[in-house]
Amino acid sequence: MADQHATQIQRIGGAKLVAVCDSEPLMAKQIAERFKVPAWFTDVDEMLASARPDVVHVTTPPQSHLPIGKKCFEAGASAYIEKPFTLNTADAEELIEVANRKGVKLTAGHNGQFTHAMNKMRQSVATGFLGGRVVHMESLYCYEFGDAAYAKALLGDSDHWARKLPGSLLQNIISHGVARIAEFLTGDNLVISAQAFSSPYLQEIGQSDIVDELRLTVRDENATTAYFTFSSQISPTLHQFRLYGIKRSLIVDDDHQLMLRFDNKEYKSYMRFFVPPLVFAQQYIGNLASNVAKFARNDFHLPNEAGLFTLISLFYKSVSEGAPLPIPYREILLTSEIMDAAFEQVRINQQNRRSDEPDSEMALRECAGQRPAGGH
Amino acid sequence: MIMEQTSVERIATQSVGTDRSRWIARPEDLILVTGANGFIGSWVVRCLLARGFKNIRCLTRAVGGSAKLEGIGQDFPASRLSVVKGNLLSREMCAQAAEGAAVVYHLAAGVEKTFPGCFLNSAVTTRNLLDAVMASGSVRRFVNVSSLAVYSNAQLRRGAAVDETCPIDTQLVERFDPYAYGKAKQDEIVREYGSKHGLHYVIVRPGITFGPGKTKIPGRVGTDTFGVFLHLGLGNRMPLTYVENCAEAMVLAGLTPGIEGEELNVVDDDLPRSREFLRQYKRKVRRIRTFPVPYSIFYLFNFAWEKYSSWSDGQLPPVFNRKTCEAYYKGQTFSNQKVKSLLGWTPRVSMSEGLERFCAYAREHMIKA
Repeated sequence: MADQHATQIQRIGGAKLVAVCDSEPLMAKQIAERFKVPAWFTDVDEMLASARPDVVHVTTPPQSHLPIGKKCFEAGASAYIEKPFTLNTADAEELIEVANRKGVKLTAGHNGQFTHAMNKMRQSVATGFLGGRVVHMESLYCYEFGDAAYAKALLGDSDHWARKLPGSLLQNIISHGVARIAEFLTGDNLVISAQAFSSPYLQEIGQSDIVDELRLTVRDENATTAYFTFSSQISPTLHQFRLYGIKRSLIVDDDHQLMLRFDNKEYKSYMRFFVPPLVFAQQYIGNLASNVAKFARNDFHLPNEAGLFTLISLFYKSVSEGAPLPIPYREILLTSEIMDAAFEQVRINQQNRRSDEPDSEMALRECAGQRPAGGH
Repeated sequence: MIMEQTSVERIATQSVGTDRSRWIARPEDLILVTGANGFIGSWVVRCLLARGFKNIRCLTRAVGGSAKLEGIGQDFPASRLSVVKGNLLSREMCAQAAEGAAVVYHLAAGVEKTFPGCFLNSAVTTRNLLDAVMASGSVRRFVNVSSLAVYSNAQLRRGAAVDETCPIDTQLVERFDPYAYGKAKQDEIVREYGSKHGLHYVIVRPGITFGPGKTKIPGRVGTDTFGVFLHLGLGNRMPLTYVENCAEAMVLAGLTPGIEGEELNVVDDDLPRSREFLRQYKRKVRRIRTFPVPYSIFYLFNFAWEKYSSWSDGQLPPVFNRKTCEAYYKGQTFSNQKVKSLLGWTPRVSMSEGLERFCAYAREHMIKA
């Protein structure tokens, strides 16, 4: 992640990468050399005192986000904190409180909110396409264990830091999909129910301590609802977001950077089977044209990079010019709360497994605005 | 399963009495092999056992089985083959692995494709292992397995020989070559431990290892990135080394006295040109459609891509660039004179025999190249 941040920071006019820090001196030195950064450190306090950055990008394992984030704020620096933001909602609240008290800003690394297709969706919503409030959302986030760089390292290494998170694999991955829901929830009192379990695949290979299947339902007090699905077994590995309004709806296909509009036009008789396919074909061609045009303008970097660049740029504007935060703190906290509910179910599953209850006997639990015990 | 006696076992039978007295390690000494379950590592283990070394500690990744090593151990029932699963990022694991070892063959490498990933799993792991080696005090020779990819041929004309006098490329970041970058940094650390801490080391730089166990057409022949296989450069010599030959050279690099601090390139004799390799592959493995691309055309393509990448602010990453094109496709020859003269090594498996075995295996497995 540090490499990705450094690459995008260097694309932003007026931004200068002044220092890097890693507890492993060789890693700190090599990234400083590759990106021609003037200073490298192995101690955060020393880095903050010496380099005095305006913004710190925290790309360390999430267990360290709270202590490092607080150090940054105490030193007067704003912070971009990678996902998962913190280990739990209590830690997230603490970070926000310190940042507010110190008059600095923070953002969470939910760069998936700012892909080309997500930006297009947001523009459509802002122009009132949905015709009113959001009624329901569906966020699908799939994961493939074939990714050798991460998944196999996770599966093969019992000491991998992701395994030590309260939500293990889930905690490191699902915030992208959950943050999309959080953006459009209008209420703060959530009713969340979760089912979490290990897929037959992981059970077969003896890795049932990792939970790789999650199904969440969310409802706020304004009757906005959402489903979130995380799966390592669905094929192909899809990343989609559906937004249903009271008059019209939208689908974002993040894998192909497409956005489709569902109007409420009615067609008579058999025309409803012949005209809409043409309409959707037109939309697909429109998406193609838009993507090609952006590519021709050098404005169509790969979605993850594009999202990261946009989020960093917007955050820097917020810090330097007082522009609105790209991700309101409320959304960060809602995302965290939803994730906490999911991990509570993971904890219950693990407890059941230790007491030899079959994994199939899962409890559907409603956590009506509760925080699970211990903040997890 | 009774295995045919491999070439390394034939060597051991022929030469065990003659060589042993000169070696810096005795058959009962503990030998550590990292990456022991890998393509070359398993042959290094087999070669050591065939030469009478009985006490071998194999360090492998935590994920993945060790059936291959267990099978090798069964072929040498008098041996004490121990398999330790772990990660060299753990200093405790390194200490456990290096404890009491007389010779270390360090073949472990990561599977990452990013700069930080390659650096972490090459340089940082090697540093951890070297700290453990120095602390143990027992290691007489550290064999660091590097790669021919670390060299720069920028100053060589086409057709000139790459040998151990070539400089190490200092522009591997610009070359966008994370693997070579990690290996070059690994070599730097080994040399640093040699000069500052008195580590007795040898660096071995194999070319492209091939043989049963691999099925893909080597990248130096071409690429299928664009959907059809592009044969690049057309007539370049390929720095191949058959896996058993390579393993034997590595083993000798750990045993031969008086070569501390040497850096040795390992390639076989009779190196084929890429077109010969491709012709044989098509005839003996499977028919594939290939498209010939002369070096000059590919160089222009890389130039254009590199410029576009810069102009577009990295919209297309500079995976194709002039430095990589030069490094891998300019067309050099490769010398193995130093490894032959210092180790007394010769490739036991001929190139033709090695290619036959590779093609037979690849055909049998019929995996898309």
